[in-house]
Amino acid sequence: MKRKLLQALTTAIALVAVFAGSGFAFSEGTDYQLLEKPIPNAENTLIKVFSYDCPFCYKYDKAVTPKVVPQLPADVTFRPFHLKTKGKYGELGTKLFAVLLAKDQANGLSDKELYSDKSLLKKAKMAYYQAYHDKKERWDAGEEAYLKTGLDAVGMSKAEFEEGLKDPKAQALIAEWDASYDVAKIQGIPGFVVNGKYLIITKSIKSVDGMLQLVNELLKK
Amino acid sequence: MNFLQKGWNDLRSEPVPTIAGWQDGRFLWLLMAGMSLFMVILAHSVFQHWLYMKPCEQCVYIRFAFFAMVIGGILVAINPKNAVFRVLGYIFAIYGCIKGLLWSVKLNKIHFVAHSDDPFGVQGCSTEPTFPFGLPLDRWAPDWFKPTGDCGFDNPIVPDGAVLSSMQQWLVDFYRDGWYLWPPSHFMNMAQCTAILFGVVLLVLIVCAAAWIMNGIRNREQAAETRICNAPQQ
Repeated sequence: MKRKLLQALTTAIALVAVFAGSGFAFSEGTDYQLLEKPIPNAENTLIKVFSYDCPFCYKYDKAVTPKVVPQLPADVTFRPFHLKTKGKYGELGTKLFAVLLAKDQANGLSDKELYSDKSLLKKAKMAYYQAYHDKKERWDAGEEAYLKTGLDAVGMSKAEFEEGLKDPKAQALIAEWDASYDVAKIQGIPGFVVNGKYLIITKSIKSVDGMLQLVNELLKK
Repeated sequence: MNFLQKGWNDLRSEPVPTIAGWQDGRFLWLLMAGMSLFMVILAHSVFQHWLYMKPCEQCVYIRFAFFAMVIGGILVAINPKNAVFRVLGYIFAIYGCIKGLLWSVKLNKIHFVAHSDDPFGVQGCSTEPTFPFGLPLDRWAPDWFKPTGDCGFDNPIVPDGAVLSSMQQWLVDFYRDGWYLWPPSHFMNMAQCTAILFGVVLLVLIVCAAAWIMNGIRNREQAAETRICNAPQQ
């Protein structure tokens, strides 16, 4: 009886060791999942779905994404998508972020520089994160107050913002970001999607390096 | 006093039939249902509405778990001696406890990560809840089941222009850092408290169910023995 138990135990341990040692550490269902509705035109991209009204987006944008994005392979594009359905000012935030991203691109900033201090998108985004999460600002005064937080952070006037909104590039971004909702409702945000079809299961991310490894693995699939 | 003493003596001398016997009354079942209902109303009316502490995704799931226990308790209380009602009641109540316990543990994990500098290992909350069995509770009763807060952050957020009574103001300040059993020292967050509550009720339910089953088997055996003993005399 005792021997049988011991045998079963050693077999179990051996099996665990075999699986743990088998090089490819990432698996579907645990580390990533296939999107039922892939995001179109997203070959060789890492998409991040986020919202100013999301504590873990703030955490990731402070400690994780700024380290991951510059280390992505040269031919891979990083694309931030703002989710308009979350937060009281989700739609307005989406418009402003799209205008600022279009401006960043027009200023010649590459996608890998979106976490540098030159990026207007980053400045406005961090201003909203800090106001919302650190200062518990909820902009009860209305849309003007919300908009002011972001515009002040980048030194832009409301007229410039409205002008920028007419830019077809900004409009294209807004339309493109509509794909965010279907991604966000699966496991919440932040949501990272590789090549428009592999959604990373956020809770499986254990470190910056681990996330990079997983992204690189998925890019090759 | 005498009543308590008698109960204690019975429990010591004959634990199984005593615990089995308790369940024949409505009191404990209504106590469980009432306590669960009280917790949800406390969360909704006092903390969510009066003190502006918004519920998160896990928080509305925990409300769902309490409601399962309310239903379980009421089902048995309809007729505590009816085995069908009792089994159904047990299923609802134990289901609620287990789910509630799991959600509380998850929320506790999120709470700790949310308040640390290391963001890894959890998934933040969604505003699009997915209830068991696909129940669209957030559409049926949004005020009760639609998450409007963020997991791990249950601080009161008072809208601009809201006029607070002095009592409200005092409590809003008291819970400034979020809900804790004892906020000044951040002792026991909400998830830990509900986890303990679900755990204790689950334990009691399991003990009661086991006593009921054991007592049933024992009674049946005794009945069989008397039949055998009586057989030759017939």
